[in-house]
Amino acid sequence: MTRLAGGLIDRATPLYFTFDGRRYTGHPGDTLASALLANGVRLMGRSFKYHRPRGPVSAGSEEPNALVELRDGVRQEPNTRATVAELYDGLSARSQNRFGPLGMDLLAVNDLISPVFAAGFYYKTFMWPRSFWEKVYEPAIRRAAGLGRLSMKPDPDAYDRGFLHCDLLVIGAGAAGLAAALTAGRAGARVILADEDFRMGGRLLAESDPLDGAPATDWIGGVLAELASLPNVRLLPRTTVFGVYDHGIYGAVERVADHLAEPGDAVRQTLWRITAARAVLAAGATERHIPFADNDRPGIMLAGAMRAYANRWAVAPLRRSSDRVAIFTNNDDGHRTAADLVSKGVRVLGVIDSRKDAPRLGDYTLFRGAMVTGTRGRRGLSAIEIERDGRPELLECAALGVSGGWNPNVHLASHHRGRPVWDERLLAFVPGPGGPTGLFPAGACAGQGSTAEALADGARTAHEALAQIDMTAPEIALPQAEDRRVAQQALWHVPGKRRAWVDFQNDVTVKDVVLAHRENMRPVEHLKRWTTLGMATDQGKTANVSALAVMAELTGRSIPETGTTIFRPPYTGVSLSVLGGGDTGAQFRPRRLTPTHRWAEARSAVFTEAGQWMRAQYYPQPGEAHWRDSVDREARAVRSAVGLCDVTTLGKIDVQGKDASAFLDRVYANMMGTLKVGRVRYGLMLREDGFPYDDGTCARLAEDHYVVTTTTANAGLVYRNMEFARQCLWPGMDVQLISTTDAWAQIAVAGPNSRTLLERVVDDFDLSNEAFPFMACASLTVCGGLRARLFRISFSGELAYEIAVPARYGHALMDRLAKLGADLGATPYGTEALSVLRIEKGHAAGAELNGQATADMLGLGRMVSRKKDSIGSVMSRREGLKGDARRMVGLISIDPDQPVVPGSHLFASGAERSLASDEGWVTSTCWSPHLEAPIGLGYLERGSAREGEVIVAANPLEGTEARLRVVSPHFVDPEGERLRD
Amino acid sequence: MTDLSPMTALGGETAREERFGPLTLAEDHELALASLTLRRGADLAAPFGLVLPEPGHHVAGDGVSAFWAEPGRWMIAGPGRAADDFAAEVAAQAQGCTVTEQTDGWVAITITSSKGAAPILLLMERLINVDPDRIAPGRALRTGLDHMSVFAIRLGVERLAVIGMRSQADSLWHALRTTAERLATRS
Repeated sequence: MTRLAGGLIDRATPLYFTFDGRRYTGHPGDTLASALLANGVRLMGRSFKYHRPRGPVSAGSEEPNALVELRDGVRQEPNTRATVAELYDGLSARSQNRFGPLGMDLLAVNDLISPVFAAGFYYKTFMWPRSFWEKVYEPAIRRAAGLGRLSMKPDPDAYDRGFLHCDLLVIGAGAAGLAAALTAGRAGARVILADEDFRMGGRLLAESDPLDGAPATDWIGGVLAELASLPNVRLLPRTTVFGVYDHGIYGAVERVADHLAEPGDAVRQTLWRITAARAVLAAGATERHIPFADNDRPGIMLAGAMRAYANRWAVAPLRRSSDRVAIFTNNDDGHRTAADLVSKGVRVLGVIDSRKDAPRLGDYTLFRGAMVTGTRGRRGLSAIEIERDGRPELLECAALGVSGGWNPNVHLASHHRGRPVWDERLLAFVPGPGGPTGLFPAGACAGQGSTAEALADGARTAHEALAQIDMTAPEIALPQAEDRRVAQQALWHVPGKRRAWVDFQNDVTVKDVVLAHRENMRPVEHLKRWTTLGMATDQGKTANVSALAVMAELTGRSIPETGTTIFRPPYTGVSLSVLGGGDTGAQFRPRRLTPTHRWAEARSAVFTEAGQWMRAQYYPQPGEAHWRDSVDREARAVRSAVGLCDVTTLGKIDVQGKDASAFLDRVYANMMGTLKVGRVRYGLMLREDGFPYDDGTCARLAEDHYVVTTTTANAGLVYRNMEFARQCLWPGMDVQLISTTDAWAQIAVAGPNSRTLLERVVDDFDLSNEAFPFMACASLTVCGGLRARLFRISFSGELAYEIAVPARYGHALMDRLAKLGADLGATPYGTEALSVLRIEKGHAAGAELNGQATADMLGLGRMVSRKKDSIGSVMSRREGLKGDARRMVGLISIDPDQPVVPGSHLFASGAERSLASDEGWVTSTCWSPHLEAPIGLGYLERGSAREGEVIVAANPLEGTEARLRVVSPHFVDPEGERLRD
Repeated sequence: MTDLSPMTALGGETAREERFGPLTLAEDHELALASLTLRRGADLAAPFGLVLPEPGHHVAGDGVSAFWAEPGRWMIAGPGRAADDFAAEVAAQAQGCTVTEQTDGWVAITITSSKGAAPILLLMERLINVDPDRIAPGRALRTGLDHMSVFAIRLGVERLAVIGMRSQADSLWHALRTTAERLATRS
């Protein structure tokens, strides 16, 4: 054990956990990484490419190395950073990316042949043979270079989402964030304070410096208690604000139950969309390391992280408490670690400071003007090589803290293409102008890194942000805090011939950057992709600036001239489950149910999705072994008796107003204003480019009142287009539109017995052909006074009606019609039979109205009226459209056993199967129970003049061909006598 | 009077009601709705004496209420009048306006809290992207809820009505009950 004194852990409570099957003990307040370090475990994983032994480099979410598989079974979660995994009793974790035990990874052979794995290796090597890519190379590369494994099972946990609104969102609860939140909270502003850590306090928790002469936790505790007591303040610990979106909306994930073995009744995580009038970004800073030869051994970590482990978690990254620690730095801040370790009783070898004039800041050995040039140790650091005044030395030590300065966490400030700017004093990028509107960086992330600076900057920034929304805040008393001026020397890497890692997570070394430069991959975007620098879970948090500096050195340009790093959301990884919002399976998206859904369900209907709608596809009966048995029976029932089908899903748009007729004349290609009251007309709508996009019926209920019906698929689109026309194209027209799709249940009653059946439900209404002919409509009552609408229209080609009643009565009306029609052969039918019937009749549907077919191709060219203007009518007459000679035809298979395959292309018999001789395609097909043959509809070159010709439908994808006879698309009753009967 | 039996939007013979801790979700099967739209140049109507509300607001009168739906359009609500031809009644009260029956276009779910406003606000925070200040009692909004378009009407401190598309009633109930149940479990 290497536990030190102090720390913010509850030593009285043991927590038991396992890593790679071995059992260890930790305490509440530990992370997995701190608990493992306390148990002397430093080797936590293998590197991505070379399978080098790795331990934690950091103590936070920037961790590139200590990635583990957390939890077991279905909850197994790969690539979890041990440095932020909150310890809980029973936690189980495994190291990943290894072949064999962690200490004896067989793929470490990659490290021996590392010269061939240089930057661009995959691009250069796996070029041929092409067929090897998916079958050989990719699986092998994934096995060798993959990270953790998924359970491949569905996520068992619940996820939630929600929306928060505030005056000020404070991102980060360190010194600046707490000061900002307190300032705004006392001002009465609605404040949300979010922090990714499970304990608020940020960097203050990791330092030993007092606030007002007392431990920092005293001040933090007081502030948090006050904030918690304010009704206008909401504290969100364990919450990562991962992205800035438009209009002041911030994405955040609250890890509600990630710190529990199982969530139980709680949700696992919540996705918050936070709308903030203003936000303070107090995200702190991330320390950078200094690349030197073999700088990646377990035991080598960032000096600030080492200090955090010592102060917050009371651990040192040592195997034995007698081991020594060294610090390598180019700045004063590295010395703080040495001082804190000394005060904790850790043996400090000394501070190796690259500056010749490095100040003496503590009671330890100081190696001025020295640099670490190499390291020793197989699975962990055992010695370092240093060079001072040209003389090499080998010094035994078990841990090395490295401090190369601090990079402000500019990530969120660069989400709206905000370009960070280079600060020569800090030797770092700080947030620049042009970032997200309303986001104010403060504290260390704005380059104000001493505790006193951060506190003051947080309070000042809150004032500034609130002033913009006309709020004033009182000055708050800030505690006395350290205010060191940190001096540093620019040192981006230690020159040498051996490999020095820049990006630990992606195994990118200084040599790789040099190679990228040599191969002219010099812009930062190319450097990133050529070397994989800055990719994967850490997104280059510890690597990007260093790599940029190395490239700058190679090109002889300054760092800001070389490029900046732009970050995109998310700041850290966000699970797809929480982005999905928690609904899965049948509840994945809203479903729309028809008024007769439950009636159909009770009759064992099979349902199909039509957009959001669930529609009855067919109704299987006992003894029907195949879906087609059901569909054939249903289609025959409509042709011979009477069928019942719920057609509520067709869009219904109520159109009223003095100018309703003129309006409809403009949106329909054909005349609608001449329609008589009490009549229905088929209508065709064109897009602006002249192609038809929807068809349906239009019923005139009164002089200034119409009901437009649309296809199911286009109900929303047609309504939207009509609203656009009403509001934007012709705002002067007196027209009112409203959807009534859901309000009315509509049932198609189709077949020769339909009139007889309807006569049994209508109240004193004359349904005779004379009184209520084809294409008539009326408002009436049914079943003893229920208001209803009746339309005599037909999709099937038979005598048919559609009857509409208020939706709540749809179920009962369907049941009544089925019962009253039992002796007439009343049969419910679904969308499959509906489709068969319309193909037999030659009615176009979605496959024909595909956006590429002209009105002429549909055989509806004469509907585009020349007597008036309407949307798309002029464009429909342009040469490209009028010249298209393809026409819709009926197709019937010569061989009854040879089905017609939709999508097949049509060729003249004997013609070559090529694009040049392609004469059209098959749009819709079915087995026709009426003709007892496979039939179809399709577009064929000069189709209407080719009836009787035998052509070929070729389906090269499946290698099939069928011989078809071209016929009229109206397979049934081409003269239309039945529907007028 | 028809002899057909109506079915509720949630598929029952009677309206559904479920309680989750302090929240009760109840389907309002008897709420009649009609849209009232001003025709071009028409004066503001006052059906049943209602002063038609400003955008984002709801007003209650004697046995009827109204909420703003879009520029120039309101929904007139008649609690307990779904069996009547409510649209005809509204039309008679709003001469020169366009009135369309909407009763069965929607499902109305009333959410009542037994512990003040807090449970209602917590529920809304999970489901509706709206600043709580903007949905104080008397406010009405058209907004998204779990990928559905709804009207949210704050009938009172402890009462919220959510009116969604009738065909989506099951999905809307699922969204509301899942959240209410989670909140009840958590509290």
